[in-house]
Amino acid sequence: MADRAPSIQSSWWLRRRTLDCVGLVALVLVMFPFLWLLQMSVRPTQDIMGYELLFTPTFDHYRALWTGGFAKSFVNSLLTSTFSTVLALLIGTPAAYSLSRWRFRAHSQIALWILATRMAPPIAFTIPFFLAYSWLGLLDTVFGLVLIYLTFNIALVIWMMQTYFDSVPKALEEAACIDGCGVWKTFLQITLPLTAPGLAATAVLCFIFSWNDFFYALILTRTAAQTAPVAIVNFIQFEGWEWGKIAAGGTLVMLPVIVFTLLVRNYLVQGLTSGGVKD
Amino acid sequence: MQRSTGNSGNSWVAQQRRAYFWGLAPAIAVLVLITLVPAIYLLITSLTPMSMVNPGSASDFSAPARNYIDAFEDRRFLNSVWLQAQLSFFTVTAQVALGLGLALLLNTRSAVMRAIRTAFLIPMVLPPIVVALIWKVLYTPDISPLHRTLAYFGLPVTSLITDSKTAMLAIAVADTWQWFPFTMLIILAALQMVPEEPLEAAKIDAATPWQTFWFIVFPFIRPAIVVAALFRLIDSIKAFPLIFVLTDGGPGSATQVTNYYAYIQAFSFSYWGYASAIATLLVAGIFVLSVLVSRLDRRNQRDE
Repeated sequence: MADRAPSIQSSWWLRRRTLDCVGLVALVLVMFPFLWLLQMSVRPTQDIMGYELLFTPTFDHYRALWTGGFAKSFVNSLLTSTFSTVLALLIGTPAAYSLSRWRFRAHSQIALWILATRMAPPIAFTIPFFLAYSWLGLLDTVFGLVLIYLTFNIALVIWMMQTYFDSVPKALEEAACIDGCGVWKTFLQITLPLTAPGLAATAVLCFIFSWNDFFYALILTRTAAQTAPVAIVNFIQFEGWEWGKIAAGGTLVMLPVIVFTLLVRNYLVQGLTSGGVKD
Repeated sequence: MQRSTGNSGNSWVAQQRRAYFWGLAPAIAVLVLITLVPAIYLLITSLTPMSMVNPGSASDFSAPARNYIDAFEDRRFLNSVWLQAQLSFFTVTAQVALGLGLALLLNTRSAVMRAIRTAFLIPMVLPPIVVALIWKVLYTPDISPLHRTLAYFGLPVTSLITDSKTAMLAIAVADTWQWFPFTMLIILAALQMVPEEPLEAAKIDAATPWQTFWFIVFPFIRPAIVVAALFRLIDSIKAFPLIFVLTDGGPGSATQVTNYYAYIQAFSFSYWGYASAIATLLVAGIFVLSVLVSRLDRRNQRDE
């Protein structure tokens, strides 16, 4: 400590390590509630309230869920989320490209409208959709859910893809298409391949948002088109709080989301904050 | 035939414009059908006394302002707005504070921080219903590790969600856990854009970390903090699964925020007209906040 330089060095090192420790403690605190559910899902029923870390894991809860009709709602969730994602991409990607390349008078109004659909409270959509669906016979159908999920997915696709398209220089498209080939040919051959990673990230986010939905599915489905999040709640209403099965159901529902999150984590930031920080 | 009327450059532009138009048209058509039409229908329904028990009420426009007048005389509705304000205030404040703290922590250059960064995002991407179930476990004394630990140290605590005084706090804590990653992400992104030179200069001038933060870093990230807070404010109005699973609006109506009140009026009592009016008021409130966001967003971009 007599010498000045090493003292600064060591205090700097100490501060770094202290901060790292604080970060790790914060990580444990944040992860704890989530990890607790995971461990509950493999804990035997008679010991479900236990907190000893050493126990023999069991997959009984998962087995009971899977044979008890949960699989069907899981398939419904997959179908709904996939169809809604594909439709949103088919409709939204060309629109995003047009908005990125074409400056017209109502441009900013349309942008505001799209932002407004992202902001609108779901209850405002559910009341008219519920009334219309009961009249049209679309209640409790996969198609009905797919359609209402488009309310947020199209806005998301347009918002995200527009920024990706903006980042492709126009000169590049022009250089590649000197003979003046059509707008959509250029789009398919030049621009879309360049933004493919962005497209993949957008698709994953659409899928996650549809998969995570609880409110719309709660109101617009009963049994035939019931999705996994609603199935867990219904299961609670019929069988009471069977914690092991609830934890297993919750784990199954969050599994795809966690996997996808890790897959696209580098692109996730833009999508999750989309509208918040553009560019 | 077109070629003979205009010069070829003009028609090329027109052709391009047509192509763009057809790219945009399907999305606009679908969005009109699934957002604008329902919004208009909601507005129309809100002017009628439409309800399940009263056939023919869907087209009764004899007292169009009835639902709105009722709402402002309905103590439960006014109370729900007050509860919403409390919930929004608490959660937005807590999420900004926690998000800022963690963003500053994660922004330090260290391998540990880089490695754990993604893990902090997990609460935000989890299905909201799973978040609600996780907190149901934590708030149920029989099974909650928190309650059991407190009881072990001789400090048994009754469940927060069954007491009308603490139920809202319990919801707010769970909501904060779920959404602090959002504010953290936005603030972290802003922190990474703070230029190096003023920070170097501060180091040379031997500024304390606090001075550096307050006079250099904070002015840079303030717009991002405001935008993140407004986004959370708007989204806090939509909180549903947490309230549905944890308290179902109770005990009594202690956690019945406006969104939840509209849900009950519509889907428990089938008072479609009245529920539509409440939903319309919510949309109006959110619209005002959204305009605020887009203004700020534009100003931020100009500043940059």
